[in-house]
Amino acid sequence: MSAARRSPITGAFTVAGLIFLWAPLLLVFLFSLHSTGSLTFPFEGFSTRWYDEVFSSEEIRSAAENSLIVATSTALVTLVLGTLAAYGLTRSTSRLRAPLSLLFFLPVTLPGLFIGVALLVSFSRVQFSLSLLTVTIAHLVYVFPFFFLVARAALERLDPALEETAADLGASRATVFRRVTLPQVWPVLVGAACLSFALSFDEFVITFFVIGPDSTLPMYIWSSLRRTIDPSINAISSLLLAFTMLLFVVTWLLTVWSERRRRGRGLAEDPLVLTGAREETA
Amino acid sequence: MSPAEPRVRLEGISHRFGSDWALRDISLDIAPSELLTLLGPSGCGKTTLLRIVAGFERPTEGRVLIDGEDVTSLPANRRPTNLVFQRPTLFPHLDVFANVAFGLQVARVGRGEQRERVTEALALVRLEGFEKRRSHELSGGQMQRVALARALVNRPAVLLLDEPLSALDLKIRLEMEVELRRVHRETGATFVYVTHDQREAMALSDRLVVMDHGRVDQVGTPTEVYRCPASVFAAQFVGNANVLPVEVVESGQGDALLRLGGHTRRIHYQDAATGPAWLVLRPEAVRVSGAFGANGTSDSMPGVVRDAAYRGTGFSYRIELSELDAHVKAETRGTVGHEVDQPVSVDWDSDACWLLPRKETEMVPPAPTAIEEAERPKEETKG
Repeated sequence: MSAARRSPITGAFTVAGLIFLWAPLLLVFLFSLHSTGSLTFPFEGFSTRWYDEVFSSEEIRSAAENSLIVATSTALVTLVLGTLAAYGLTRSTSRLRAPLSLLFFLPVTLPGLFIGVALLVSFSRVQFSLSLLTVTIAHLVYVFPFFFLVARAALERLDPALEETAADLGASRATVFRRVTLPQVWPVLVGAACLSFALSFDEFVITFFVIGPDSTLPMYIWSSLRRTIDPSINAISSLLLAFTMLLFVVTWLLTVWSERRRRGRGLAEDPLVLTGAREETA
Repeated sequence: MSPAEPRVRLEGISHRFGSDWALRDISLDIAPSELLTLLGPSGCGKTTLLRIVAGFERPTEGRVLIDGEDVTSLPANRRPTNLVFQRPTLFPHLDVFANVAFGLQVARVGRGEQRERVTEALALVRLEGFEKRRSHELSGGQMQRVALARALVNRPAVLLLDEPLSALDLKIRLEMEVELRRVHRETGATFVYVTHDQREAMALSDRLVVMDHGRVDQVGTPTEVYRCPASVFAAQFVGNANVLPVEVVESGQGDALLRLGGHTRRIHYQDAATGPAWLVLRPEAVRVSGAFGANGTSDSMPGVVRDAAYRGTGFSYRIELSELDAHVKAETRGTVGHEVDQPVSVDWDSDACWLLPRKETEMVPPAPTAIEEAERPKEETKG
């Protein structure tokens, strides 16, 4: 499939695809800056009134706070548990290693609807009242496999001989982890935690089932859309989008930085380093 | 060996991976300040044995003693050993100084002493001024020298080296051999060195341990192993050797009469056992001269040159022995060579013979497949 010459049809498809993906987002952003309450063209001028409205609304502020609390707790708990799980499973020599690993990341395939219903049933079975805590637990279930996949990949890329070297130099298991393993993978782990945060922050389907009386930002948007078409929704959505994208950019930058740091820069100049790198990936 | 207590004593070490025995009943004493080499082809168990001494593997049977203390059940981080790995395993997130200081930091050595000892160790491997470099700013040889300093800075009772030069270019490898000999002399530390390269082993070692299929084939100084190999395997693995089937017809005081095909030949030899034997003949002990027909000296045999290569100091030949259906390798000195397909007469130094027992029916020495395997750069990574 080597495209020696670019065909105009390919170009057209690419542009159409990009428009399909990005036009709705751009429209939301555009109308969040609209000076009137109308959600349709013609566009009558720019203003930041909807943003002012968002920032002055008590209801929105409280929903955003809840979202932050849930997303932060989810990210932190996932960071600790996911790292432990991934580290344990990549270093284990047990025969159960492969099946356990599969069980840890397979929930990636579960539909949100299923997780939501299953958790709602479980919570009511044990008479656990619905609150932000149940939302956080639900988000942990949802986010964990994503974190686990990223963390496992990063830990598997590490050269096990480095950990052996550290042990040989007198370091206990805990010291090896703290001084050799963690310093090499923390950017990826923090990046994956950012990803977890983003996933939790705008999660809607599962939250819908297990939320109880509180509200999160996506819940607020949904419920206000049911009432009226309020243009301030465009402003919230734009902010949410910007925030989520920022987190993804941070994740990406951390991953790239960590990769570059791991490989070093003088790579191509020294064939011996290259040999080492080749063995490492083999 | 010296009567003093050995630095390392291995007692009846056997090790099994699944149902395969990687090591069978190995007992060995390593003296303080000795440079001992475990030499053998890929898969002979030498790396496994080294990892057992380091504490990465626990032997299925047997004991490891270091300075008289049983360390068999101690993990690697609590043993007074340090290992230099096959490829440089510098910590990529730390600079050279922090890499070398790692063991001292873990052992909570004071900062002042840390600095002093790291500086000293870097000076020992001639890397003064490299403290702030990262591993990707070093060449392969420099990385291995940092790894060496990082191990030596802890003043281990035994320094273990697992083919530390095999990932390097030949030229750097030869330089590093000189460096290793110097570091060994200057530190007086005990080194256990693993390699499949017999040349490297001979160049470095005080003693060699020739290993084959998880067993010790022979232990001795390089000269002993080269001149008096304990087996056909050792003869072929350490240096180049011609191994020819002969019959010891007569054994007398200090000499023996050999029959080689239709040929008889008297050699200098103590207490040869009569009967079938392998004659081990090093190529440099073989003499090649121009053919004078069948009436050359009574001891020489007719042959035809099948391959000739110039080595700089002389020629290497592969010569077909016309009467014997066998080939011999010869290495001669001088500048005048013999052409391929030219008839020559072959003779050898009657002091340079070594005899090994042979079964009546064996006429061809065991194929040196294991040796060819060992030439491959990659050592087994089992375990």
